Amino acid sequence: MRKQMKSLYTLIVVILGLFLVACERDLATELPFESYEFSSLDEKGGLWKPTLLNAGSSVIIEAPAPITSSEYKSELAATKAGILQMTAKQRTNIQKWTNNSVVRWNEIALELIAKYNLIPGPNADGTYPVPNPNDPDGPPAFPFAHPPYASRALAYLSVAQYDGLISAWFHKFEHKRPAAYVVDPSIPFAYKDNQLPAYPSDGAVIAAASKLILKEMFPLEAAFLDAKESEHLESLALTGEFVKSDIEAGVKIGKAVAKLALERAALDGMKKAQTSKEVSDSIANAAFARFGWKWENQESPKRPVGLTPLFGKVKLWNVPTVEATRPGMPPAPGSAEYEADVKLLLQYAENRTVETRKIANFWQDGLSTYTPPGHWNSFADQFIVKYKMNTLRAARTLAYMNMAIMDGGISCWDAKYYYHYPRPIQQIKGFETIAGTPNFPAYTSGHSVFSAAASEVLAYIFPQEASKVRAWAEEAALSRVYGGIHWSFDAKVGTQQGRNVAQYTIQKAKSDGAN
Amino acid sequence: MNFFKKFHLGLFVLFLALSNTILAQSPTDELMMPAKEICFLLYADYGQFDQYWEGDFLRSNATIATVQRRSAMLMAAYGLLPKLNVYATLPYIQTNSTRPNGGKFEGTSGLQDISIGLKYELFQKYTEKGKFSGYGSLNFSTPISNYTADYQPYSLGLGTPQLAWRAILQYQWKSGFYLRSVSGYLWKGYTQSDREYYYNNGSYYTQWMDVPSSFNQEVVIGKWFKANVLRVELSLASQRSFSGDDIRPYNAPQPTNKVNYDRVGFFAHYYSPKLKGFGVQTFVQTAVNGENSPKQTSIGLGFTYQFKLIP
Repeated sequence: MRKQMKSLYTLIVVILGLFLVACERDLATELPFESYEFSSLDEKGGLWKPTLLNAGSSVIIEAPAPITSSEYKSELAATKAGILQMTAKQRTNIQKWTNNSVVRWNEIALELIAKYNLIPGPNADGTYPVPNPNDPDGPPAFPFAHPPYASRALAYLSVAQYDGLISAWFHKFEHKRPAAYVVDPSIPFAYKDNQLPAYPSDGAVIAAASKLILKEMFPLEAAFLDAKESEHLESLALTGEFVKSDIEAGVKIGKAVAKLALERAALDGMKKAQTSKEVSDSIANAAFARFGWKWENQESPKRPVGLTPLFGKVKLWNVPTVEATRPGMPPAPGSAEYEADVKLLLQYAENRTVETRKIANFWQDGLSTYTPPGHWNSFADQFIVKYKMNTLRAARTLAYMNMAIMDGGISCWDAKYYYHYPRPIQQIKGFETIAGTPNFPAYTSGHSVFSAAASEVLAYIFPQEASKVRAWAEEAALSRVYGGIHWSFDAKVGTQQGRNVAQYTIQKAKSDGAN
Repeated sequence: MNFFKKFHLGLFVLFLALSNTILAQSPTDELMMPAKEICFLLYADYGQFDQYWEGDFLRSNATIATVQRRSAMLMAAYGLLPKLNVYATLPYIQTNSTRPNGGKFEGTSGLQDISIGLKYELFQKYTEKGKFSGYGSLNFSTPISNYTADYQPYSLGLGTPQLAWRAILQYQWKSGFYLRSVSGYLWKGYTQSDREYYYNNGSYYTQWMDVPSSFNQEVVIGKWFKANVLRVELSLASQRSFSGDDIRPYNAPQPTNKVNYDRVGFFAHYYSPKLKGFGVQTFVQTAVNGENSPKQTSIGLGFTYQFKLIP
């Protein structure tokens, strides 16, 4: 008997041991993809119209030494030697960065957004501290990377990358200096052959520009970003594509476009977006005088100022004035349309299903995540890889999408603080939600505007995906109503608002020469 | 006198409102059911907390005010063989915040995890002064409803399969005093959230969250009274997770958190001498130390009934 029991136990242990091993999962920390062949080279890409630069030719770099020069030959020898001495770690890095580092730097930005997307908690005396760019260590640390902040960081990042790559393309095809592995076939190329001229390195433009933008947006991450840039530049030198001067020229362009972008950022009005209580109160009171209602924070202790009341005054990228996309008035509390919405929200709350919960959670993108703008960047990254875009096309996609998203955010925040419309938890007694109610007015829904703006640009660039991305945007909008934190008109009007905003960016995209 | 040969929930009730686990789903004591006997336990408890450890910082948060958690549980134990017992547990749980609160979050309710366990008596040695015994137990649990684990602090549980291996050692003196040690390795799998990205000291592009496994230790000192009609215990139960991140400042917990705690408890089980097979038990437990776990106090009340299944 005892023996039988022992063997039974052994059997159970073995089975469960196997079960445990079989259950280990590989959890993705980035978009899984390898080097791929670009679907186009865009030889004329250097003539496309940039956003901050006048033209791709505006950044001046010296003409490269010819491949017959002794100067080039010694660089080539150094490249070759470096590859021969490559460590396993360096090899892994090359695979990790891939031949489209636009995606990887985008992911670095998303990670920093998630890391800094934490709302400051109250002090012991019930007041709230405010993150301060002049004292980034805090506490609370600077920045609070909320959705408007994220949309802005991503827009500057992508626009700088895109402008820099237009310039890189201009010089690549002006000088047509071939890649190291083309000049010397004994040099192995780490990625899929792409026939792009090597001078200047597009990867180096991306590394240098991205680092500088993100350093400004996330000052506490300076050391981390320096390390990322060095790792990336070192990796580029070992791919077999570039010699030292290719990389140096790329870094020069990256620095030049980042400088321009940061000059714009310094004066775009973001510094004033978070206001004092006096300004915040006067905005609320103006709305109350105009409409007879005002949104109030319901947290405990009550937050005295909403999130970035003046983000609506930040400089737009492509929409001429913020009034151009300001939606009409929401239904007045007490009106028939309003009462119908109260009913609808109560109905959703009483009949929550697994499906509506899933939708609310899927699109929530709340604190400690990459925010809705980040979610759409993640979608864009997937399409970029799926359609095998080169770095220039990838940056173009993200630049237009992120400009539209940020313009959407500005337009949405303008409506939010102009109408100052209350949230459901402020209006419906005892109402409870399954998503966190954010610290700003309801009308219109940020998720709806961000998502609609992003989806329209993606639909333009990836027409094959148009119906899919538009359906996602509608679901993202509805998710906030399911979550109990938005009225259905916040979502519906916000979706239309986002679409309207995106048209200005799409008009610009249509005439930039890329088609 | 086989009425004392019952199981009870013990103080090893893993009673975490947040990131941690289920209500005791596992046999963690030294009692063995005689073969062919079955015991049912109907059990209810109430726990609440208004402070929690964010990392090792003890925080109050008016967003959630006081979180309340109630559960009702049905458990069955059966003596399969003289030295082998099987267990099954099914808990129903309900959670909410007291009002007013700053978050206005809806609570949840539903069936949590079904668990099935085995306990085997490894040895029993009688000495002059008492009895020394050892047991091994294995408990498997898995969600029985599709609740979302990633809705903390209101989620019903961790939303993942779990496997607990335990070694139980007890020394009992003839005076009725006893000392027990329960050491367990709790393997916790992955839970599927509804989102496709989360931050866990870095980006994760997946719905799957790795729930940290843990080492769990319980030390119990107890005594039998009145010819085994009543037993009373004091306990210290601890959990140490092997991995995981801290709850982020002023943010909701998530299933990837490194949940640690030390809890002290009192437990009593009374076996009715008049109503054969019936018993009643109660416990109180409170967290005295923790990381990424609630400073929760719980009380519970249960009724047991044991009888011979096959005469």
